[in-house]
Amino acid sequence: MFRSKRMAALVAAVALGLTGCSAAGGATQEQSSQTLTLGALLAPKTFAADQSEFANLSPFYQAVYDTLIRMKPDGTLVPMLAKEWKYNADKTVLTLTLRDDVKFTDGTPFNADAAKQNLERFKAGTSPDAQFLAALKTAKAVDATTLELTLSAPDPAFLNYLSKDASFMQSPASFAAPDIATKPVGSGPYVLDTAATVTGTSYSYKRNPDYWDKGLVHYDNLVLNVYGDQTSLLNAIKSGQLNGANTIDNNTLTEIEAAGYKVNPLQLNWSGLLLFDRAGTTNPALKDVRVRQALNYAFDTKAMLASIGQGYGELTAQVFPPSSDAYDKALDSRYPYDPAKAKALLAEAGYASGLTLKLPSSALLGNTIPALITQQLKDVGITAEFADTGNNFIADLLAPKYGVSYMILEQQSDWQLINMKIAPNAPWNPYKYEDPKVDQLIKTIHLGSETEQKAAAKELNKYIVEQAWFAPWYRPQSSFVTDAKTNVEVQTGNAYPFIWSFTPAA
Amino acid sequence: MYRFVLRRLLSGVLLLFVITTVAYLLLYAGGGDIARRIVGPTASQAQVTLKAAQLGLDRPLLVQYWDWLTHALTGNLGRSWFNGQLVTTGVTSRVSVTISLVLGATIIATIVSVVIAVWAAVRRGWVDRVVQFVGVLGFAIPGFLIALGLVSLFALNLKWFKATGYVPITTSFGGWAATVTLPIIALSIGCIAAVVQQVRGSLIDALRQDYVRTLRARGLSFNRVVYTHVLRNAGGPALAVLAVQFIGLLGGAVIVEQIFALPGLGQITVAATGQGDIPVVMGVVVATAAIVVAVNLIIDLAQGWLNPKVRLS
Repeated sequence: MFRSKRMAALVAAVALGLTGCSAAGGATQEQSSQTLTLGALLAPKTFAADQSEFANLSPFYQAVYDTLIRMKPDGTLVPMLAKEWKYNADKTVLTLTLRDDVKFTDGTPFNADAAKQNLERFKAGTSPDAQFLAALKTAKAVDATTLELTLSAPDPAFLNYLSKDASFMQSPASFAAPDIATKPVGSGPYVLDTAATVTGTSYSYKRNPDYWDKGLVHYDNLVLNVYGDQTSLLNAIKSGQLNGANTIDNNTLTEIEAAGYKVNPLQLNWSGLLLFDRAGTTNPALKDVRVRQALNYAFDTKAMLASIGQGYGELTAQVFPPSSDAYDKALDSRYPYDPAKAKALLAEAGYASGLTLKLPSSALLGNTIPALITQQLKDVGITAEFADTGNNFIADLLAPKYGVSYMILEQQSDWQLINMKIAPNAPWNPYKYEDPKVDQLIKTIHLGSETEQKAAAKELNKYIVEQAWFAPWYRPQSSFVTDAKTNVEVQTGNAYPFIWSFTPAA
Repeated sequence: MYRFVLRRLLSGVLLLFVITTVAYLLLYAGGGDIARRIVGPTASQAQVTLKAAQLGLDRPLLVQYWDWLTHALTGNLGRSWFNGQLVTTGVTSRVSVTISLVLGATIIATIVSVVIAVWAAVRRGWVDRVVQFVGVLGFAIPGFLIALGLVSLFALNLKWFKATGYVPITTSFGGWAATVTLPIIALSIGCIAAVVQQVRGSLIDALRQDYVRTLRARGLSFNRVVYTHVLRNAGGPALAVLAVQFIGLLGGAVIVEQIFALPGLGQITVAATGQGDIPVVMGVVVATAAIVVAVNLIIDLAQGWLNPKVRLS
């Protein structure tokens, strides 16, 4: 028969044992001020520099690889492995003077030849950003510290690209290493601790004792934990296990702030409609600027932001960001919500009896967005027909198969944005729509002086808004959260702050 | 007995071959454009073609399978298409996490369910009825709900344990226990519910047997009769249920690993399956099938030890 005392003793023993665990658990919740533990949403596919990516994956690579140029949080470019640089008169030859005191962690010296090889490999590689170096014609190591890059045409965004994955410098001695995907060899501020790293889940780095710029390194150890699941990320934040983390969306910000974290907001993208088919190839109605303008008036963007973005973000009618030379705050009020005006414009264009638009949908969009679009278009007499694209949403958009679509797109630097969305051969101009005025303005931005470039950018933006090439709704807010022990400066134009922007709070 | 073990191992190998072939064909059929998925939706077609060539994805299916099979027989399960890590390294570094969870849950479930089942079978009456009711509840409540509840109470509110992450036992026992206690409890609840019912039922039958009365008449204490003699006779069916539960826990660990961000097999399986990372999925299939074969063999041998009537020699 059971002795209740024995049962009680057993339960007490188990409870004591478990309480013993809590002491260890409690101790490890306190992060050492020398360890920076960050949460990320994605894991890198490989550490090979020629296949690297950026944005959400930037911290993984920046910890171990330097770039030729460094971008500060506000977007200014400053020296890194390149001490200085200069273009020739027509901006087709860029000459960089490199540091002579840098060694990779395997002892190989960094020099112009190493830089040349890395750039060539990235351009020929399978990184989705390989097209950053599309304008690079040849790279020449003039001597150990002089690198000469010849471009096929001036590229106003080229220096920007040299601060990103296009210029991660990997030791040439490791190019052929069979395990380069999991064992990076760079000259960066940290070194990957492969013994403590669990690929795909948790990446541990130790300070590089021989790093050439001690001022950029603020921690002895760095841990990057990957959370594919919203719940585990939120739990890790709420239990104080992270010094900082990217968030998947804004739904949990209130809870995160309640746990003592600071929300560092950032706007990276714009959300709204892409009006691709401006020549009316698949839908003649879209050829008429009045129809496209009607689509701009048809949406209550404030309500859209409240419904879809939980109110986190800023309303806009332009695809260029506030930091851009092209941006004009006055343009944001060009298309106030006015369904009556939209209907009038449609009637003027000959569509008083209605119009049908085909748009793509995908599980990624959820149900809310298509429903809101359908409702608001219906209010102005437009019928929206959504077709499920399965896993091919972006591929079908870029094919092109649809004249109109909802999308969230990045707001990059001006030249990148123009080449991504506006230029005749831009990937996000899949119908290859050309407008002589736009072509002229792009040419000036490409080849003109700095003053001419700025004026042309402003004029281009105004023209595109007036011609309703797009129907932007708002710039959604992204949030990076940090605990009380950590300060960070968010990075303009990048989803993740740069690794050297994190510092211990005083 | 050695012949039995050998026969079981050989049939295990045949089973592995059949499972891996079926799994590979199913994965290939559902794979879609894997090269496109690796390089991303905005990469050029030339990059997609280059990636496909680099990974050998442009070869016929049977050629790819034969290549995988011949390498697997030498212990080389290839590299992940998405992060380049050796599949063997990836699987072996993670299998210990999952096994520690599943084994821990099984051991806890065994001890707790035996204690509760004995109590219910011996006391009967209201104790038995409460145990049966709670057992049904344990079955009905999904494991992930239990996990979320445990995290919320013990990790976030009381801060007794860590909410996410894993500390290897070789690094720190206290740290390891802090990270696996809640996941093990979450996993073991459903298992306890199943095993309690089985052990309780077998015990009730066994306690009715004449030899129990005889042993008591010979002066043995009730506890000794129950734990040394009756439990042994009731243990056979319970072991069979435990084996099924252990294998089921391997699948149940997937959700728990996601919630607690544990770097186990479940986490790598979810990611690899979603991406179509065939080498990694095949590695997990091989590891899981091998574990299942081994567990079934061990249970058969244990049954023989418990019950001389089913011994093989």
